[in-house]
Amino acid sequence: MSPRILPARRCGHKFTFCPTHSWVMMGRMNKTDLSLIRNFSIVAHIDHGKSTISDRILELTHTVDERDLSSQMLDSMDIEQERGITIKSNAVRVMYAADDGNTYQFNLIDTPGHVDFTYEVSRSLAACEGAVLVVDATQGVEAQTVSNANLAMNANLDIVPCINKIDLPSAHPDEVKEEIEEDLAIPADDAVCVSGKTGEGIHDLLEAIVYLVSPPKGDANAPLKALILDSYFDEYRGVVATVRVFDGVMRKGDRLKMMALGDTFLCDGVGCKRPLETSLDELGVGEVGYVVTGLKDPALVKTGDTITYEDRPCAEPCPGYHEAKPMVFTGLFPIDNKQYENLRDALEKLKVNDPSLTWTPETSVALGFGFRVGFLGLLHMEVVKERLEREFGLDLIATSPSVNYHVYKTDGSMIEITSPQDLPDVTRIERIEEPYLKAKVIVPPDFMGAVMQLVIDHRGETRDMVYLSEKSVEMHFDIPLAELILDFFDQLKSRTKGYASLDYEMGEYRASDLVKLDILLAGEVVDALSFIVHRDKAYDMARALCDKLKEIIPRQQFEVPIQGAIGNKIISRSTVKAHRKDVLAKCYGGDISRKRKLLEKQKEGKKRMKSIGSVEVPQEAFLAVLKVDDE
Amino acid sequence: MGVGALYVHVPFCRSKCAYCDFSSWATRAGDPLMGAYAASAARMVSQAGSMGLLRGCRTGYLGGGTPTYLGADVLGGLVAAMAPHCPSELTVEANPDSLTDDVLDALLGAGATRVSVGVQSTNAAELAALGRVHGPAQALDALSRGVAAGLDVSCDLMCATPLQTDESWERSLADVLSCGIGHVSVYPLQIEDDTALGRRYADGDPAFNAEDVQAARMEAAERALGAAGLARYEVASYARPGKACAHNRAYWTGVPYLGIGTGASGMLCAGDYAILRTAAPRLPKAPDGTWRVRLTVTSGRRAFAEAAGMGDLSYDLEFLTEQQAAAEDLMLGMRLAKGVGEGLLAHARRALGAQAVDAAVAEARREGLAQERPDGGLAPTRRGWLLGNELYGIMWDLAPGTVLEASA
Repeated sequence: MSPRILPARRCGHKFTFCPTHSWVMMGRMNKTDLSLIRNFSIVAHIDHGKSTISDRILELTHTVDERDLSSQMLDSMDIEQERGITIKSNAVRVMYAADDGNTYQFNLIDTPGHVDFTYEVSRSLAACEGAVLVVDATQGVEAQTVSNANLAMNANLDIVPCINKIDLPSAHPDEVKEEIEEDLAIPADDAVCVSGKTGEGIHDLLEAIVYLVSPPKGDANAPLKALILDSYFDEYRGVVATVRVFDGVMRKGDRLKMMALGDTFLCDGVGCKRPLETSLDELGVGEVGYVVTGLKDPALVKTGDTITYEDRPCAEPCPGYHEAKPMVFTGLFPIDNKQYENLRDALEKLKVNDPSLTWTPETSVALGFGFRVGFLGLLHMEVVKERLEREFGLDLIATSPSVNYHVYKTDGSMIEITSPQDLPDVTRIERIEEPYLKAKVIVPPDFMGAVMQLVIDHRGETRDMVYLSEKSVEMHFDIPLAELILDFFDQLKSRTKGYASLDYEMGEYRASDLVKLDILLAGEVVDALSFIVHRDKAYDMARALCDKLKEIIPRQQFEVPIQGAIGNKIISRSTVKAHRKDVLAKCYGGDISRKRKLLEKQKEGKKRMKSIGSVEVPQEAFLAVLKVDDE
Repeated sequence: MGVGALYVHVPFCRSKCAYCDFSSWATRAGDPLMGAYAASAARMVSQAGSMGLLRGCRTGYLGGGTPTYLGADVLGGLVAAMAPHCPSELTVEANPDSLTDDVLDALLGAGATRVSVGVQSTNAAELAALGRVHGPAQALDALSRGVAAGLDVSCDLMCATPLQTDESWERSLADVLSCGIGHVSVYPLQIEDDTALGRRYADGDPAFNAEDVQAARMEAAERALGAAGLARYEVASYARPGKACAHNRAYWTGVPYLGIGTGASGMLCAGDYAILRTAAPRLPKAPDGTWRVRLTVTSGRRAFAEAAGMGDLSYDLEFLTEQQAAAEDLMLGMRLAKGVGEGLLAHARRALGAQAVDAAVAEARREGLAQERPDGGLAPTRRGWLLGNELYGIMWDLAPGTVLEASA
């Protein structure tokens, strides 16, 4: 017999956890029966209404008042809201008084939405038993509906189909149900029809979650076993980790241990987000919440690690942990070298909440002092660069991304390099090995050919493929990481009209015929423009890059030849023509101020460029390698 | 004391050209606003005269817009008000379609010495593409009649315009030269935002206006005009000996000038600005250390027409220090064929420091933008003509600090 928790609407307070009645609820919540817990995430194609439905759930369960509901409550970082992507995982607890008379604890887990964060996504899904699959009643099943449903089914989640926007005149829910059954092989007879806009059907959705999503399993008396989904740094409390408890109980004062990294700490408090942080006496089995570790070093708390008791550890950690290693390395240089120290400080500040960031100092002849920074992927790089520029007022140049290569030298030693500049002279290289990924793509059979071609174009090898149903094929292939980081994911999405889902894990290192492609401006090698490329692709790449740089670099006072070279051999060439005319001839009735302001504007423009020798090079030139496939 | 040049602006046109972002408005013929505006401008000229501001004035320029669109009577009145203050030269801008015989007579009668005719091209299709309201024959006729009337005649031509070819450009140059004029101004079309052309080509620079085309046409103009005896004396200006525009040269040689009219710009020394303030109390006191003041009238054409005097107008202001003014003088001087003389350089060295000025001169020479004159001054090279902004930028960079601005 489960205790009934008084919903907030009866006591009139803002939160279910009302200040007046909190003692009642806290006492009872600690004993929440596993059968009264539902852990789930919401997945959808873009714009099918994931955020509005999340908001409605918070509202209907009185987790937040209507007036406090800023839309998209779960995406908190500015850049996340601006770009409409989720970077950090987030878990919000809501209490739902169901029609069966019980009050259920729902943990709504928001997952990152980009391939750079594949690992984080997999950890977040591992914390769920179910997923609400939202489909737009006017659009039907679309590409990301398929790819997200595949991710959720791969994680063995119970799927709650939900058809949204039924208030629209063009809604055709019955056809959408058929599509869900046919395209996704998910029974949709009981799909819930809702309108995130009017709130209609949200109650039914909550009921469906109660009945369709399995309650968590676990042993309350076993040693603690809690999975870390995410973490952030709090200046006063140290690292705060979001966790899912699989076995046992976590209380303030417990001596705890990170199983993979081995560090121990005293639990400084537990709680959950509603969506504001609310402290609890304990986090019990099956629950999702946060734990205050008191650890001052964010690097000690890793997504995917397992927290257990120091003196009574669980037998096995949660499966699937691996350290989120940086995959992509780029040089970050301040345009103004005086900002070098500021850049270091800014990186240190960002790392506090983004422990996956790594860096080492790097020196470039062309760009001066900077850092070689490791990222999870290119989106991660863009987000970090944008935050450094926006939040810390830095003007930065990012150089071509690289992976971590293993260079075997003729003297028998091996060095790891992440920057083309560190590549030894070609006569001292025995072979170069590059990291490969084991990638998995799930895609409708119609797009199989397109994916295979894309894999071949990116030097990958298809290993095998399995029909999951008539509507979907799972393809496995090995592909060099260096190929995947550039534009593989974008091209995969565009060539499969968005239907493909991609998942990957690190594979082994393999020897490849790699060369360093140098770029010369006005006859001088610009080290910051060099990059490592497969010999078969070097010629095409060199030509494309010279052409792209010709577009990006503005005319100068003199002609600037741009050359691509391997060693001493020039393999491509283009020329930025000399400026021929740059003068404002017209005199506007003696308006000299106007002429002077034009000169000042031109000077400002030049400040944002980097002088390489006598050539003024704009920031974007250093990332030209990412743009050669734009056409 | 006193300004050396007087500029009056007439912001009215029959229609707005496709490239034009000057202070001008398409206005119905005979709109009484034009008469009221011209009368107000004439009153302000008299006001400036009675305040002593025009005591040293030598040249005048009535620009626009289209001054000849005012019609013979109104135009004649305004020119007559300016003429007493412009003993060496008084230019009136004209459009071919409104430079009628009675307008010409009025100009001569009122004391104008020079007309500058906006021809732009002698190709009918090119003129239409620019939104010009006149045809080639009308344009050439206007030039010839101006010459026949005994005025100094100048002609504006525009290059790198829609439909223009190398051949049609040569043709336009030859056509206007055949009229016997002594002065030609050549401008590459500048596509500005907020113009019809700017909107049409918002996505990017069209091929007809490409930098290489502009450069080639400017050089073709220099060759053709030079061969006809018109030497380049300023970036955009060519003249037979003795026919250079004295008023234009005042702008580039640091001669103070007074600007009257909507959008008109002026430049005053600190002393004259103080005199102007006695008539215009709303103008702020010049900050300490002000050497030179640049002002642009921001009152609209109706407000200008209704104003009792210069004190009723609003202005944008810039206050330059002696150092800034010295750098500006070098910047402006480099637009002229003769460049800057030894005296100006010596003054700049005193004001800005010999080392800084010498370094700038050395940079300009190293970049091939300027060369030493036989008499010790500095003059632009061929390269310095086409890459003028580089050269002027080097000089203006000498100016310390930022120019103080104000609106009143």
